[in-house]
Amino acid sequence: MKYTEFKEKVMAAAAARGLTEYELYAEEKENISVETLNHEISAFSTGTVAGACFRCVYQGKLGYASTELYTASEAERVVEEAMENASILETEGEAFIHEPGDAYTKPEKKPVTEPSAAQLTELALKTEEAAYGADERIVNGSQSSANFYRNKIFLSNSKGLDLTDENAFTAVGSYPIAREGEEMFSGFYSKAGDYTELDPQIVAEKGVEDAVSQIGAVSVPTGTYDVMFSNHVTAMMLRVYLNIFSAEAAQKEMSMLAGKENEMVAVPCVTLIDDPFCEDSLVKTPFDGEGVATRRKDVVKEGRLMTLLHNLATAHKAGVASTGNGVKAGYAAPVSIQPYNFYLEKGGGGTTEEMYEHLGDGIYLTELNGMHAGANPVTGDFSLASAGFLVENGKKSRPIKNFTISGNFYQLLQDIALVGDDWELRPPMRGNACYGGPSFIVRGMSIGGK
Amino acid sequence: MINKALLTRVLEKALSTGADFAEIYVEHTKENNIAMIDSRVDSVTDKLISGVGMRIFQGTRCVTASCTSLEESDLMACAGRMADALEGVPVNRTVRLQERIFGDIHPIRVVPGDASLKTKTDLLKEGHFAAKNYHQDISQVRANLLDVDHQILVANSDGLYAQDRQIRTRMTVNAFASKGGEKQSGSCSPGRRMGLELFDMISPKSIGEKAARQALTMLNAGYIKAGRMPVAIENGFGGVIFHEACGHSLEASSVAPGQSQFCGKLGQQIANPKLTALDDGTIPNAWGSMNIDDEGTPAQRKVLIENGILKSYMVDKLNGRRMGMESTGSSRRQSYLFDPTSRMTNTFIANGPDRNEDIISSIEYGLYAKAMGGGSVNSVTGAFNFAVNEGYIIRNGKICEPVRGASLIGKGSEIIMDIDMIGNNLETAQGMCGASSGSIPTEVGQPLIRVASITVGGR
Repeated sequence: MKYTEFKEKVMAAAAARGLTEYELYAEEKENISVETLNHEISAFSTGTVAGACFRCVYQGKLGYASTELYTASEAERVVEEAMENASILETEGEAFIHEPGDAYTKPEKKPVTEPSAAQLTELALKTEEAAYGADERIVNGSQSSANFYRNKIFLSNSKGLDLTDENAFTAVGSYPIAREGEEMFSGFYSKAGDYTELDPQIVAEKGVEDAVSQIGAVSVPTGTYDVMFSNHVTAMMLRVYLNIFSAEAAQKEMSMLAGKENEMVAVPCVTLIDDPFCEDSLVKTPFDGEGVATRRKDVVKEGRLMTLLHNLATAHKAGVASTGNGVKAGYAAPVSIQPYNFYLEKGGGGTTEEMYEHLGDGIYLTELNGMHAGANPVTGDFSLASAGFLVENGKKSRPIKNFTISGNFYQLLQDIALVGDDWELRPPMRGNACYGGPSFIVRGMSIGGK
Repeated sequence: MINKALLTRVLEKALSTGADFAEIYVEHTKENNIAMIDSRVDSVTDKLISGVGMRIFQGTRCVTASCTSLEESDLMACAGRMADALEGVPVNRTVRLQERIFGDIHPIRVVPGDASLKTKTDLLKEGHFAAKNYHQDISQVRANLLDVDHQILVANSDGLYAQDRQIRTRMTVNAFASKGGEKQSGSCSPGRRMGLELFDMISPKSIGEKAARQALTMLNAGYIKAGRMPVAIENGFGGVIFHEACGHSLEASSVAPGQSQFCGKLGQQIANPKLTALDDGTIPNAWGSMNIDDEGTPAQRKVLIENGILKSYMVDKLNGRRMGMESTGSSRRQSYLFDPTSRMTNTFIANGPDRNEDIISSIEYGLYAKAMGGGSVNSVTGAFNFAVNEGYIIRNGKICEPVRGASLIGKGSEIIMDIDMIGNNLETAQGMCGASSGSIPTEVGQPLIRVASITVGGR
């Protein structure tokens, strides 16, 4: 059966069991994807997935159950299982089903062009050819991709809230491989936007630049260096350490920012913003996973922690209002906390080139690997495989690789010497959050190399 | 899940524009996850994943489609969408499905889905509180118990019709120790392709205690100084070094498109002569095992490297076509939403000729990596990294004080030559491996090994 019919059955099953507070949250995702290899289309795929999650307040606690099978028996089962799951919980006083009445911002969304399969295929092939054309060292094994995504969200609850939202965009990626002698170097660049705005030539050239610029890279001697983190790396760091800004993590002693609201947690050149309606973002989100209206907020303003990110439960516990960050990582996941478009604000340090000059001599860090293992989101410690470039006399010079950078994120916030203006927001990763910022400089980082 | 007659119609529709192979994968998965934090049961989530993934091949070209609905009209539309993507000559091919029963070598004694929530919660509490009550410096514990009942059906135009039911259970305990404004973590997360009888083998108490002990050890450790040095890597999850440095680069998904450092190296010496490594999907009840892979090919035991000589890649059907090789039963996918490709199962370095005590005593100054974290690799360049969760300095052949913050990096093809001592206490450990076909359970393993020299990150 279709979702609307399933929803009615679930709501009826909930009412029939005497439940008074409940919610159904559903996602519908559609994607078309094309991949190329060796000048040809190697894979073409289309997919649709839909799933719904039922939540209810039962015995004062919030139970969950979800399904991808929209049948009458599943409608009964999710209600029964959510009640059973609630009964085993030990979380008193944290069950909230949101009331209607929020003032929702209507995001300004540009009209979306949905590319045909043929148009996506052409986009991927053009990107592939442009990569081969950009440099003669690009060899077979190089790939490109083009994707179209559409994501719809439906949220209805027993209090009369009935919300929907939709985001759609196209993405194109270039994954060239450059060969020099026996060594291979992989590059990557991707761009997301409306289909009509994507230029395969530019994407391919940036991917190729990423690959060939690494040719001749060597390691560096172990030691202490001044380091400039690229804008891309800034985004990666924020993504890995987003949890330290979560009130849930703070309340559960998993963030050392607990109780630090209104205190200086960073140097004054650091301002961190979460803006669900960020103009440069493809994803604009008017309500969160609990139906609470979202809003732009300074999380850290000129070094001072203004607020942690809250959902209804953490806000209740802290005696504040939810910041509208109660986000689900997928329809079946419990409501957790996530930002939308989370970025480091520009800091006046100028362009990337001007930042090299401010750095003088040191390392320009463009790549971090193994973030899921080498960066601990609770302790803040990191020790990560890296790649980048040497900067000598204020100019970018030779590529470097096979070294590690180590430190602690909380300390890093206190040690940032300068924030640049080469601001960029990265395309959304899995889940819908985007991260971004400009490059920044930290003096005296520990580097492990040869 | 879907009857044979309908499967046949869908396959025939998928073949109708000239594909030479069509496949349908039907999935019905129940997942239950109980989580504890702050010493109480914090969330219970359960989900039903249900849907269909289809593929057609025309030579080495592949078209795929997936849908959540199991209704005939949606399935036929999905097959039609795939067929439309090929510009072949319309053909009428008939498919005759013939059921094959490969048997089940992974007995399940206590099916988790049939156990009460209370039984499972009690097990989890035992693990949680074993960590929480271990020491006064343990400030927080996060624990969860996950069970998955994954039922698959694979049918293809060669007539294959096969099913498998894969049940797995895992408990994870993360312990955090705090003192004087510092915080460190420890974890333990054993899992098996079995039911709740797992906890008769490994007690929840031992899981919690291991996580807590590691957090405390790291709380009292200083930071390691970065540099190049010899490293002794302990058994169990230490095997992640082979998984990252070499395993991924032996998957056909890297080799077939020419994206691996080990392309064209079959029969050649790629590793130290002491090193023999296997990928074995047939170990009864092991975390990465299965009866059939996600293309319906029975799981196999493969020697990947024997005495340093490359013997086999891990191959799926599509990349097998590109390489002119048969499938090795290595095709895996997280769910129907992901396109399957070649992946590891249970991958490990076999026992070697060295005595463990000789490995430690051979190192004048270096690192003893007792417990490893995860890692990653770029299979094109071979650059890999992984984290050391529990490390100790070795000084004059003796294991000394604990150190935190270490990571190991290098290039796969170099490091497997530099594994120059291999001990004899092979043990395996469980992880989730993420790649293009999603996140799947894989096991890693090895005995204690020595890497002659490797870059250690620290400060």
